[in-house]
Amino acid sequence: MNGAVPRALEDGLRLAMPFVAALLVGAVLLAITGRDPFSTYAELFNEALGGPSRIAATLTAATPLIFTGLATAIAFRAGVFNVGVEGSFYLGGLTAAWVGFAWIGLGGTLQMLAALGFGALVGGLWMLLPGWLRARLEVDEVVTTLMLNFIAIGIALWLVNGPLLAAGSANSATPMVVPEARLPRLMPPSTLNAGFLIGLAALVIYGVWLRLRVGGFENRLVGLNPRFARSVGISVSSVILLAIVLSGVIGGLGGATHALGVVGRFSEGFSPGYGFTGIAVALLGRNRPVGILIGALIFGALTSAGTTVQLFADIPLDLVQVLEGTVMMLAVVEAVRWVRRRRAVGAAAP
Amino acid sequence: MLDNVLHAAILATTPILLAALGGLINRQAGIVNIGLEAMMLSGALAALIAAHVSGSWAVGLLAAAVAGLVSAAPLSILVTRFGANEIVAGLGLNVLIAGLIGYLLSDVYGVSGTLRLMPVPTLPRIDLPVIAGVPVLGAILSGKDVLTWAAWVLVPLTALLLTRTRIGLRLRACGSSPATANSVGLSVPNLRDGATLAAGALAGLGGAALSLGLVGLFSEGLSGGRGFIALAAFYFGRNRPWPTAFACILFGFFDAAQIRLQGGGLPPELVQVLPYAVVILALTLASWRRRRGPTSEP
Repeated sequence: MNGAVPRALEDGLRLAMPFVAALLVGAVLLAITGRDPFSTYAELFNEALGGPSRIAATLTAATPLIFTGLATAIAFRAGVFNVGVEGSFYLGGLTAAWVGFAWIGLGGTLQMLAALGFGALVGGLWMLLPGWLRARLEVDEVVTTLMLNFIAIGIALWLVNGPLLAAGSANSATPMVVPEARLPRLMPPSTLNAGFLIGLAALVIYGVWLRLRVGGFENRLVGLNPRFARSVGISVSSVILLAIVLSGVIGGLGGATHALGVVGRFSEGFSPGYGFTGIAVALLGRNRPVGILIGALIFGALTSAGTTVQLFADIPLDLVQVLEGTVMMLAVVEAVRWVRRRRAVGAAAP
Repeated sequence: MLDNVLHAAILATTPILLAALGGLINRQAGIVNIGLEAMMLSGALAALIAAHVSGSWAVGLLAAAVAGLVSAAPLSILVTRFGANEIVAGLGLNVLIAGLIGYLLSDVYGVSGTLRLMPVPTLPRIDLPVIAGVPVLGAILSGKDVLTWAAWVLVPLTALLLTRTRIGLRLRACGSSPATANSVGLSVPNLRDGATLAAGALAGLGGAALSLGLVGLFSEGLSGGRGFIALAAFYFGRNRPWPTAFACILFGFFDAAQIRLQGGGLPPELVQVLPYAVVILALTLASWRRRRGPTSEP
């Protein structure tokens, strides 16, 4: 009964509703503190999309979210609630930065590729433990992956304050990555870099994998109905393990591109919660490639606009956090289904 | 040395214990509260401002409980009435409250990050005349603030509430079998809302222990992950009050020891992650034991 158009419409509504609600919450906050919500939002919109350099900034801000959103979605599809992408992102970034400044012998492009590869590898290995615990011992992965985030951040902080601290640096940061190992810029002078393209490529591969490969189908089946999957001969535990490790690989790759593309090294506060925003991105995008891209772009726009609005219009950057938190809280609210149920009840009545 | 560490460990336990008791009640009613961190933070700020304005720490505590409760409300309603996922909504609440607090600090007070208000009445410490002189016992019992005493009185009270009262049994019914609870006429959403609001109030008080306990200031990083450590504590304690309190003491001890261990061996960054590692270990052991053979669930 539901054609393609109503479903797309429903998906769109589902994506838009939390943002509209968040903008309302933000408007109330702005009005209470004596600011004009409309001009503030106009300003935000302008800062996010007004001109090539602003668009480049938005795409740059969206890049890490593409990775963390995709990483989360891969696990979600298999029914694994991985909230540990933040940890993979941290460790992937740290590893890439280390390869990027220490492995000078490799030379240029090879060093860059090694940095990306090892970042992804470490991000994946980090998820081996919760994946194995979930697949073999049925240990709740929500708690283990959440806790592993704090452990990853602690380990990264320790390394960056001790063994990997840049000589002569007072703040916690590694030395800079050598220029040859950095990801090429796409639109200098903006920091938009090849990481964005890698993210897009990952989304495309994900889309193809979902549709064509047997693996994608198995992955979905395990997420939808593990008992049925098991009864038709799919090894549920290995699908789960693969999904969560793959999720970590993408998270680690995201951290690596962030280190090599934007920051140029690893430093304290490397991620302002990209992993957590990624959860909202995946949920809003309903684990679909295009949905993830749109979600990442919207959050990226908010972040890049918020940064400049704080500088020039004296509006606290925290406004963006308020909007983001509200969107996250409402991301999974089943308002659309609620409305439809209402309508169905109304239609059933004579 | 030992007395110093013990004294500091007990004080460091208080905020974690209060939040963990709230989270435990919440969990028993069937909701994993990831938003404890946000509730602690808003409680800490409200306590500081209210205590400064009124000149009374008691008013500060009241404000902290109310602030924690108010920040828990949207989380609870979204989870119980609108089918929101408790984990995502909880993480969202942490982002939202951190944003709101940052916005208010820079807009109303014109500061970024840290708020100092003078004068602020800090929580009074209760010195016990004779016991204070006894070596270990004095360090444990004497010189503790009112919230610390309240937190420890709440441990047996929570145990009683959950096992011996009608409301406690109903809360647990909501957690262990919501369908059954519903079929015997209990309102699962209402009971869960109650549990989440109670968790908010307790976590808010935990926040007050941070902002009014020692120095009387607020900073955006004041809670420093204690909401998640509280989560770790009740997971470790398997939602039972006394084991949870034991975990809190352990984590409080880590907290107090890490300041003193600096320069002497373990790096502080790694000591800080111990509670989180302990939880993964505890969950693994519990799961392993469950699979080894049938055990009697308490």
